[in-house]
Amino acid sequence: MAKDLCKTLADLKEDEVLAIVQEKLNAGADPMGILADASRAMEIVGNRFSKSEYFIPDLVYSGEILKKINELVKPKLTEEVGTKKGGKVIIGTVAGDIHDIGKDIVVFMLDVNGFDVIDLGVDVPAQKFVDKIKETSAPVVGLSGFLTLAYDSMKQTIEAIKAAGLRDNTKVMIGGGQMSDEIKKYTGADAFGKDAMVGVSLAREWTGTK
Amino acid sequence: MPVISDIRLNLKKNDILRREGFRGYTRIRPEIKNIVLELLESADSAHLLEPTTAYEIYPVTGMDPDKVLLEGDAVVSGSLIPSTFPEAKELAAIVCTIGPGLEKQVTEYSQGGETLRAMLLDGIGSAAVDTLVIEVCHCIANEASSRGLQAGSPVNPGMPGLTITEQGNLLGLARAGDIGVNLTSSGIMVPRKSTSLILALGPKMETWTQADVCARCNLRDTCPYTVLHS
Repeated sequence: MAKDLCKTLADLKEDEVLAIVQEKLNAGADPMGILADASRAMEIVGNRFSKSEYFIPDLVYSGEILKKINELVKPKLTEEVGTKKGGKVIIGTVAGDIHDIGKDIVVFMLDVNGFDVIDLGVDVPAQKFVDKIKETSAPVVGLSGFLTLAYDSMKQTIEAIKAAGLRDNTKVMIGGGQMSDEIKKYTGADAFGKDAMVGVSLAREWTGTK
Repeated sequence: MPVISDIRLNLKKNDILRREGFRGYTRIRPEIKNIVLELLESADSAHLLEPTTAYEIYPVTGMDPDKVLLEGDAVVSGSLIPSTFPEAKELAAIVCTIGPGLEKQVTEYSQGGETLRAMLLDGIGSAAVDTLVIEVCHCIANEASSRGLQAGSPVNPGMPGLTITEQGNLLGLARAGDIGVNLTSSGIMVPRKSTSLILALGPKMETWTQADVCARCNLRDTCPYTVLHS
């Protein structure tokens, strides 16, 4: 009998996880059931991370395993279902800042958690965010910036979104180096994320994704 | 202007893991540990680490509460050095970098979807910069000691009393351009795995442990890299 996928994935046992998934698929298991188990496992991983039982590399490692599960399951899914169900999120490092590793981790974690992520890269001008929101109607925008210098750029980007008449339908989260309620207020963002998992939680909450 | 580029870095496991976001160090899983070891080896074999420093030592000619006057009409603005090192006789303006190679590889990993490798290698780069700073400070402190001076703890732009906008001035004082370190128009150092610092030299200078530095930092409660909770 196959081992418990949820527990094995939550324990980050990559080889065992992939073997279980393959075994289940070979036995004709419902691919959506496999993804549901994986989703529950990722919740456990998130909880362990919030309790400092897991660390950022563990979190990313869980994402990489999930990505491999998705690759195995994807061919078995109908076209309509797919693995993307979380909605669109536009993300980028704001103008003047070129730091990318933190942003890339958030992009990765959103992606493996089912969001359709539009990564605009680094040093992104405010207008580019505005244009992309208009083009995609994405309801969530993530602004990344590492240095204190980025706060003004975040503020200007949010003001540009507002000036374009898009703010009412767009939730904005900020993340990067030092984040606080004060900086959230200063920039005009809706929320800040101190790590990638908070970013995923916010995106879920704002898009109504479970 | 002294430029040193043949600096041997002895990276410590705990420093690397701390910079990769681990705390406690004992719970690193073998799969991740193996990747870290592999990346360390590849960083060495592919010459991704090119530790280099440029620095210049300036005699202090005067000190006000909000600035230090240096020989050659140079000035370092801010209250940090006058308040912490009032007896400083010289200031060493220092820039350290590990070069652009490692961050290029990080970007390649990231763009190729290898996020875990990207972040682990990035952590190795940060630990390398930390170690480089320690080596360079030792070197300058030893030289100062031969002239009867002590070195205080290093201070960086961004610390309270030494604003981040002083970074451009500091890079000029250290002649950082000669080792390929520059500022973008928005004030970010490139290569990104670089740092700028000042070392105050004098007869009796204040020194801090890394824990002291972390305890003084505004990020002490939230920083994933702090030594306070290790």
